[in-house]
Amino acid sequence: MAFSRRNFLIATGVVAASSSVLTACGGEDKGGSAKNDAPKVSGTKTVDIPVGTKADSTGPAPEVKGAVKGGTVYSLDQFDMDHMDPGQIYVSTEGAITVPIMRGLTGYKIDDKGATTLVGDAATDAGTMKDGGKTWSFTVKEGLKWEDGSEVTMDDVRHTFERLYASFITEGPIYVQSWLEGADKYEGPYDDKHLDSIEIDGRTITFRLNEARGDFNYTVAMRGYSLVPKKHDTKEKYDKRPFSCGPYKIESRSVGKSLTYVRNEHWDPKTDPIRNAYPDKFHFQFGFQQLAATDRFIADSGNDKYAMAIFNEVAPERIAQVLTNAELKKRVLTQVDTVTYYWPINTTRITDLKVRQAINYAWPHQQLQTIKGGASVSEIATTIMSPVTPGYEQFDLYGTTKKPGGDPAKAKALLKEAGKVGQKLVIAYQQSDNSVKQAVAIKNALEEAGFKVVNKQVDKSTFYTQIGDIENGYDLFAAGWSPDWPNGYSVFFPCWHGKNIGDGRNNYAQLNDTGVNKAIDAASKIADPEEAKKAWGAIDRQIMELAPVVPDYHSIRNWMYGSKIGNVVYDAGNTCIALCKLYAMK
Amino acid sequence: MLRFLVRRVSGAMVILLIISAVTFWLFYAIPRDPAMMSCGKNCTPENLEQIRKNLGIDESILMQYWHWLVGVFAGRDYAGYGYCDAPCLGYSFANREPVFGTIMDRLPLTLSLAFGAAVVFLIIGVGAGMLAALKQGKFLDKFASSVSLLGSSLQIYFVGYIAMFFLVSELGVLSQPSYTPLTENPAAWMSGLLLPWLVLAIIFTANYTRMTRSQMVEQLSEDYVRTARAKGLSKRNVFFRFAWRGAMGPIVTLFGIDLGVLIGGAIITETTFSLQGIGRLAIQSVNQSDLPMLLGVTVLAAGAIVLFNIVVDAVYALIDPRIRLA
Repeated sequence: MAFSRRNFLIATGVVAASSSVLTACGGEDKGGSAKNDAPKVSGTKTVDIPVGTKADSTGPAPEVKGAVKGGTVYSLDQFDMDHMDPGQIYVSTEGAITVPIMRGLTGYKIDDKGATTLVGDAATDAGTMKDGGKTWSFTVKEGLKWEDGSEVTMDDVRHTFERLYASFITEGPIYVQSWLEGADKYEGPYDDKHLDSIEIDGRTITFRLNEARGDFNYTVAMRGYSLVPKKHDTKEKYDKRPFSCGPYKIESRSVGKSLTYVRNEHWDPKTDPIRNAYPDKFHFQFGFQQLAATDRFIADSGNDKYAMAIFNEVAPERIAQVLTNAELKKRVLTQVDTVTYYWPINTTRITDLKVRQAINYAWPHQQLQTIKGGASVSEIATTIMSPVTPGYEQFDLYGTTKKPGGDPAKAKALLKEAGKVGQKLVIAYQQSDNSVKQAVAIKNALEEAGFKVVNKQVDKSTFYTQIGDIENGYDLFAAGWSPDWPNGYSVFFPCWHGKNIGDGRNNYAQLNDTGVNKAIDAASKIADPEEAKKAWGAIDRQIMELAPVVPDYHSIRNWMYGSKIGNVVYDAGNTCIALCKLYAMK
Repeated sequence: MLRFLVRRVSGAMVILLIISAVTFWLFYAIPRDPAMMSCGKNCTPENLEQIRKNLGIDESILMQYWHWLVGVFAGRDYAGYGYCDAPCLGYSFANREPVFGTIMDRLPLTLSLAFGAAVVFLIIGVGAGMLAALKQGKFLDKFASSVSLLGSSLQIYFVGYIAMFFLVSELGVLSQPSYTPLTENPAAWMSGLLLPWLVLAIIFTANYTRMTRSQMVEQLSEDYVRTARAKGLSKRNVFFRFAWRGAMGPIVTLFGIDLGVLIGGAIITETTFSLQGIGRLAIQSVNQSDLPMLLGVTVLAAGAIVLFNIVVDAVYALIDPRIRLA
């Protein structure tokens, strides 16, 4: 996922690949200090999210040991959600915050050991594939009800997917829409026209796709494909007040200020293998700066004892204080993220491989990491894939591990070989305090290696428009990507396939390498997950050999919470705290 | 009085019109594309165009301003987002809510903050200033002057954090700053805003103490005060009936400006205490390039200052009979 728009700093991808929760909490003596043993990205196990069985898809969700019902859980967050219409939801935080009120055909189930499985949510299982992945069927459970007590009908399920073609749906994922057969000219269901490639037979919905997609059941787990009732679809206005079929419904909302969920009495836990729904109420409060929220978590007084955060992580100013205090550290959930931040190199302007390699060798990784807040919040990256994404292969083609501060001598030698000493590089970065500091460090390092650097600050709101313009005039720019579901396809196809070069597309490096394109196409068709993983790992290396990007860092996220909140675990499906697993202690 | 009010209100409307036009032009002329913020991850040129059309930003700046003005008085339809009732100050790019509705949602907090703090800093500030004037040259005068000098040199973001740390986190004598509507729970309203009121009062009190003291000292040395004393009026009567009234003019002016500014948005105070009022709305709008919201907040802030200037002028006449409204 591109880190654009309002939430670019805090929104990571929509789906994680890992269920390995690296809790930094517990285990220390009461009070006193704790070692700042920040988790290592490189030491993180890659754990797949397997597809569960029909039994796994049957409710109720596994009980959380010691959990109690009742109470209110609060949040201290900075931002409200941009959207509540599922069709418009893309960022992971919005996906996570709507888990209690929205259900899709599939979803992610967290068991009592923290492991995650893809299961049927509204569907009885995680789907049935035919024709090698070109046809997918899901049978919808009986007994699902909307918040007004009406049944979830198959018309609703069909409508959910057909409305994604309406002109007012502009921001959600577009995978399913582009894969459904014969949808090129379809404009949505509001003129009573149906899409032929979606078929309904009894309680079963079948999707006919224009390409084989072995991972279609993971795609429909995205919040963007959560169910919408046909009868209550208010089109554009649905974004303000979605209708619930989950364990909670919206009681009140003041955009930018607060959002309150109360119980949906029509939700039947027997239909839901994912959500426990212990608290009676969720009260999300917005407008708390990261630092202010962290200070309140540290103070741990009043209702803040029952508070957590979806958006706000521990502020960089307090990270050392929090992670070195045993008591505070107990109330932190630490998780390696699926995102990799990197700097694409415009391959249409920097055409010489040796020059691109020289940039990689000269890169001041260590200085940049320090500017970002150190090893507690990031680890230097040498690959495009995150270590928690299935298929990740560890390699370091440009000696970053040995020389994290950069190797200007090696870079200079490469430039000399290429006859490009003094090569001009135009670097674009977003206007922010940190970016300015980073730009200076990058400029110094690259100039030491023999480049001539021109730094250009770009307005935040137009940054991604500008770097997404194929005639952008920049050689190097900051970006980042997190997979939308746990496999290599959603890492490499959107960002590194030649098909995705164009204004507004995500192949920012404009890499159009026949070998890479063929390899991505071939890997997409591999049905065996283990084989597919190997293929994606190899593609990572294949791309890095062409040096169209400088991997910058993998993110480590730290969420703090109040002392009276129980079972704070990571939702690998939504890369956030799992709201439906929390409980308020008595 | 009525003639005065009609004339001043008409003038104020013209001022607001000019401010809105200049602000509109400034905001819309800068090279930012709010449609991009709404276009999402897989933005296509078609989507972008549709969003621009929905937001009404595909027209010339002049037409956009005209439609905005019409919307203020007659309401306006935003394709794809719904109808915005009059007074329609625009449609927020970021919140996708009518600007006026959002401002009205945040205004009660800011009004509570402004008027609550005003009560505290007026009572303490004016009271301390009067005492200092009364005890000119004595310990109380020197103490009040020194404290006011210290107070005026402090900043909200400093005092606010220190006060929160000690009074809320360490000692627990005050609640975390929060806002509960007055009509819902007066006790919670007061306890949630007490800390911001006190901190704001520390900063503002200083000016009022110093202003009141200097004005009172000046007034007490005036001939008419001496004459009143010579005619046998009591010290108390002279102090409150003559000197105090004479000293109030500049204080009322200062108060009018301060209140207008506070209602226009106490950005730092609301940010320090994580309160969601007009000030936070303004800063969020800047961060999100939410130009309609920023325009709405600017017009509100300007309106508040203009309104309180009119009120100040009217109050002048009541306080000082020498001033006539013409």
